[in-house]
Amino acid sequence: MSDVAGDGTLPLMAPGVTSLSLGDDISAHVLRPRTLLWWWIGFGISLALLLVLIGSSAWLFIAGIGIWGIDIPVAWGLAIAEYVWWIALASGGTIISALFYLTRSPWRSAISRIAEAMMLCAAASAGVMPILHLGRAGFFYWLFPYPNVMGVWPQFRSPLLWDFVCLLCYILMSIMFFYVGLLPDLATVRDRARGRGQRIFYGLLALGWRGSARHWRHYKTLYFILAAIMTPMVISVHSVVGLDFAGGMTPGWHSTQFPPYFFFGAVVSGIALVIMLTLPLRRAYGLEAIITARHLNALGKVMLVGSLMLGFAYFWEVFGPYYDADIAERHMLHERLFGVYAPCFWATILFNIAIPQLLWLPVLRQRPVPLFLIALGVIIGMWLERFVIVVTSLHRDYMPSEWGNYFPTIWDWATFLGSIGLFLTLFFLILRLLPIVSIAEMRELIAERP
Amino acid sequence: MSAPDRYGLIGEFTSAREVRDAALTLHSAGIRALDAFTPYPIEGLDDILDPAGRPRLPMLIALGALIGAVLGYGVQYWAAAVDYPLNVGGRPCGSWPAFTVSAFEVTLLCAVTVGFVAFLVFCRLPLLYHPVFTLEDFERASHDRFFLCVEAKDPRFDDALIARVLVQHGAERVASVPS
Repeated sequence: MSDVAGDGTLPLMAPGVTSLSLGDDISAHVLRPRTLLWWWIGFGISLALLLVLIGSSAWLFIAGIGIWGIDIPVAWGLAIAEYVWWIALASGGTIISALFYLTRSPWRSAISRIAEAMMLCAAASAGVMPILHLGRAGFFYWLFPYPNVMGVWPQFRSPLLWDFVCLLCYILMSIMFFYVGLLPDLATVRDRARGRGQRIFYGLLALGWRGSARHWRHYKTLYFILAAIMTPMVISVHSVVGLDFAGGMTPGWHSTQFPPYFFFGAVVSGIALVIMLTLPLRRAYGLEAIITARHLNALGKVMLVGSLMLGFAYFWEVFGPYYDADIAERHMLHERLFGVYAPCFWATILFNIAIPQLLWLPVLRQRPVPLFLIALGVIIGMWLERFVIVVTSLHRDYMPSEWGNYFPTIWDWATFLGSIGLFLTLFFLILRLLPIVSIAEMRELIAERP
Repeated sequence: MSAPDRYGLIGEFTSAREVRDAALTLHSAGIRALDAFTPYPIEGLDDILDPAGRPRLPMLIALGALIGAVLGYGVQYWAAAVDYPLNVGGRPCGSWPAFTVSAFEVTLLCAVTVGFVAFLVFCRLPLLYHPVFTLEDFERASHDRFFLCVEAKDPRFDDALIARVLVQHGAERVASVPS
């Protein structure tokens, strides 16, 4: 089980990597006195996109959600599709860092920090979306069960509230999980820091970690338990997102397969984003010695498995309406397959199911460029899938009087671009401030190396 | 016996095996106030230094989970069935299956939070100052060196004996840590 990567013949790291060289390399990226040009360019673009989010949200708060294309019957538009998309991307980070920790997969160590950082940033982007969608964003705290003068409570039986609880718990737990894993590495950076500001900053963040045997004992125990808790947690998070839909009496949503179906989507798209972040980083930071073809191979395989599971769910989604006798379900399906949104549906099949089959070929999944392109396709395909699920079901409800189309306006797109800006801004900041590879875990691997 | 103005005696090693052997020897000589500082967890080292130490962390996390389960379910049941029962078409107010999802999430959140806090408490963190930090080159404990420290408070603390054992097992340097 330890060898999920399968191909044990591929080396896990280059022979020249030592405990010292690794710590020096990774700390140097954080401690460098002059920030690199590519970082400034990337951060600048991200910040510009974030400003788009701030600007479009400001206009949204002033004018109301009528500025989006949503209306009755299609009352959920891009904001909800993107919420689901982002939370799925975040899940991929937890799957890498928690699930593959439990399976003791050695290839996880070099990329777990990238995956966890991605998880936090994507969760932030996901969390913004439903609040913007509320319309009265200032009242979002009504979702909390707190004693209030109105004497009422949230509707605890609603999947939408479950989702709020899930997301809140998930983000809080993810931050703690991330920080525990980071602690020894912060100490490593602290001990390498020379500037006064850096010594104080990392000194405080490291909390005085000194790598004592007692520290490590508790650290190992806690990290294992946290991984064991985070794994069911991430499955539950995306399943509950699926329940948001399954709980609705809408053709195409009201299906028991939605929780696993959504989780399968989280696997494939989350891994795709890990790939898309890992590959450029590997090149920019020269991490080829520790992120090898073995890692690409493993990621490619996990993405392929996710794609196959998703294909299974797609099959049942089409099978269901033909098996039962609900005219509205069947009509909605035909509209989805051949109606105005059909190009989105078929692009979903192409990007998420057809193209990832190329990953069966080791020569493609072990090379950065093809792997990156397939992952990019999956990210686009998954976005389209969320769009198709949200919009096509709503646009053909049970009654013909409830039929109508939805087309995103420029403010929908601005919010979408802005959410990417929020994600990238946070990610670039983490990249600059925190060690992006788990040094302590890599050292264990180096020590175990024959 | 030790001078009270000292924290202890520390040896600097270059390999995990050496520090483990030295710890084993000192422990079998009856010395208990021992601690090692290493860049990554060393297999078996904590069992030598603290063989009786049963990790209490898992029990506390389980307790946290239990509190979370009671809290998560209790809030929902109390609000929906006791404080503001709303009869919708005769459906039961204490509809427990609908409360399980949120209760589950709160259970996990409480477990993780308790684990995180207990971890910091057991590690005595945050602790921004510790005597060993004054040692020259101690920064390497988070890089490529392994330190073994015998605290002066140990009743069997004996400079000569400890220094000899540390050097015997390959310590590159033995230094005294001021308190």
